Amino acid sequence: MSFLLHQKKAVLGIAILLVLFVLAAFAPIIAPYSPEQRVARSHQPPTIEHIMGTTKMGRDVFSQFVWGARSSLSVGVAAGVAITILGTVIGLIGGYIGGWVDRSLDLLTNAVLVIPNLPLLILLAAFAGTVGPSVIIVIITLTSWPWGARMTRSQTLAIKNREFVIAARMVGESKFRAALVEILPNLLPLIGINLIGSIIFAIVTQTTLEYLGFGDPLHVTWGTMLYNAQNSSAILVGAWWDVAAPCAGIALVGLGLALINFTLDEIANPQLRSGPALSRWVRLTRERAKALEAKR
Amino acid sequence: MQAFLRRTSTYCVALAIAIVVNFVLPRLMPGNPVDSMIAQMGQRATPEVVAALRARFGLIDQPIWVQFGGYLKGLATFDLGLSTSYYPRTVVEVLARPLIWTSFLITTTILFSFAAGTLLGALSAWRRGGKTDSILSPLAFVVNSVPPVVFALTTLFVFGVLYRLAPVSYAYDPNLDPGLNGTFLLSVAGHVVLPVLSLAPYLIASFQSTMRSSMISILNEDYVTLGRAKGLSSAAVMFSYGVRNAMLPMLTHLALMLGSIFGGSIVVEVVFNYPGLGMTLFTATLAHDYPVIQGQLMLMTLITLGTNLLVDIIYGLVDPRLKGATS
Repeated sequence: MSFLLHQKKAVLGIAILLVLFVLAAFAPIIAPYSPEQRVARSHQPPTIEHIMGTTKMGRDVFSQFVWGARSSLSVGVAAGVAITILGTVIGLIGGYIGGWVDRSLDLLTNAVLVIPNLPLLILLAAFAGTVGPSVIIVIITLTSWPWGARMTRSQTLAIKNREFVIAARMVGESKFRAALVEILPNLLPLIGINLIGSIIFAIVTQTTLEYLGFGDPLHVTWGTMLYNAQNSSAILVGAWWDVAAPCAGIALVGLGLALINFTLDEIANPQLRSGPALSRWVRLTRERAKALEAKR
Repeated sequence: MQAFLRRTSTYCVALAIAIVVNFVLPRLMPGNPVDSMIAQMGQRATPEVVAALRARFGLIDQPIWVQFGGYLKGLATFDLGLSTSYYPRTVVEVLARPLIWTSFLITTTILFSFAAGTLLGALSAWRRGGKTDSILSPLAFVVNSVPPVVFALTTLFVFGVLYRLAPVSYAYDPNLDPGLNGTFLLSVAGHVVLPVLSLAPYLIASFQSTMRSSMISILNEDYVTLGRAKGLSSAAVMFSYGVRNAMLPMLTHLALMLGSIFGGSIVVEVVFNYPGLGMTLFTATLAHDYPVIQGQLMLMTLITLGTNLLVDIIYGLVDPRLKGATS
């Protein structure tokens, strides 16, 4: 964690997420009204009493935003964790065991990867009827693990023949222990990237599904807020605040997580780096080139 | 050749998964969906329709493998069943026209964002560590983390409602008769602007990051150094030595992205009421028209797999190193 704090982008990302998580965690204290009660006239623009305005049904948008953060973030994090675990396990098993197990798992991974994700999710959601948060977590997990599995597999393949793993096996460690104690810790940066990417993906997907009307409309999330706003033609009648609040929430989560992931990615792949260290290096070479030019 | 075979078997497995999911789901559904569909159809539900629906949802007195065989036979002859909400039209008939609109929408989007993303990615790799790069690269990460629905709604509000720069609904002016004349084509072009602008940022960002990493690894190659040493202009090295070779992985990336492009187009079509596959899917789910929802997945899977196969073939032709390569 400490290395992240030296990176401006990561600090900004963590700060954004902290604010949203605090809002979500203390929703009952922070939200001034109940998110499901009529508290004012419909489609009121933002005022001091209702800082984000009201919906068509006369509900307080800020209260909905805060409660929505609670369910959107918890579904996103839960699904993200589940996707990461499934992807890591499948990638690790395939990459480490090899042979026909690897061939069939790899085949499955690549096959699920090419099936269009959202149409498949919509089909699953449509057949499941109205889906609550737990069903959404399950179907997102079942369809979204292959990215992580593929990354984990190729990294496992790269590590498994390194000396320390072979040495551990020679000393008599079991395959299971070697995978868990020797290889898994070396995958941690990758798992971090996978986790954050999966949380982003889960929140994006959840919002999309709920916007399309597959969520439980009585359960306040950012996705169902968008769905209700769409149904009351909020944008066309000019009630932009009704749409802007959930959009801003989703965009902020995306921004925060993306900034952290960008930093992690640069740490894991130094070749792709664009951060301060590289800028300094570019500046130095430029100055040096100028100095050489001047000498001539 | 071996690599090609492996990829083809991957596509076969993907197709098999889509088929099995499509076959199994209706049979796992709780309650009795057929009765509610028949109730919704009212007078139009003739005995033949009822029988076809019951067969589709596994409510007939046949062993499961016989049902599966019948289902496969239907697929092989492009018979995806009857639509319940558009009866008497078949699923294939219902999906045909929207397919044209969606193809038009996503082709336009892909051409636009592929060009923009490649250029931006090449530029940020070329200026790695410079100002351009340190703004463009994190921006791509952020844009990639925001769902298309947010872009679509923002575009709709800012350009469609606030400034009224472009039409916000449907694919052409409904007062016009479709035909190959200037007014109609102009109307079509005008109506596709906002959907493309909503779908593009996400794609540009994704193409840009792929291009950047591909280009960075190319720029480390000896032949690029040679090009510079020969005294070629920066532009010549960047485009003929760098971009040209870095384009190859972009093809694969494009094919892999096709699934999520379809996903994005569903949302954008719903926001802009664009009469494509996504809009059809949306109305079908509202009407519980399960055969259409299933046909949609089959169609999109087939298109994605077909494109991937095509890209593999092109790849083999363009990159002679891959002939006979094993991995």
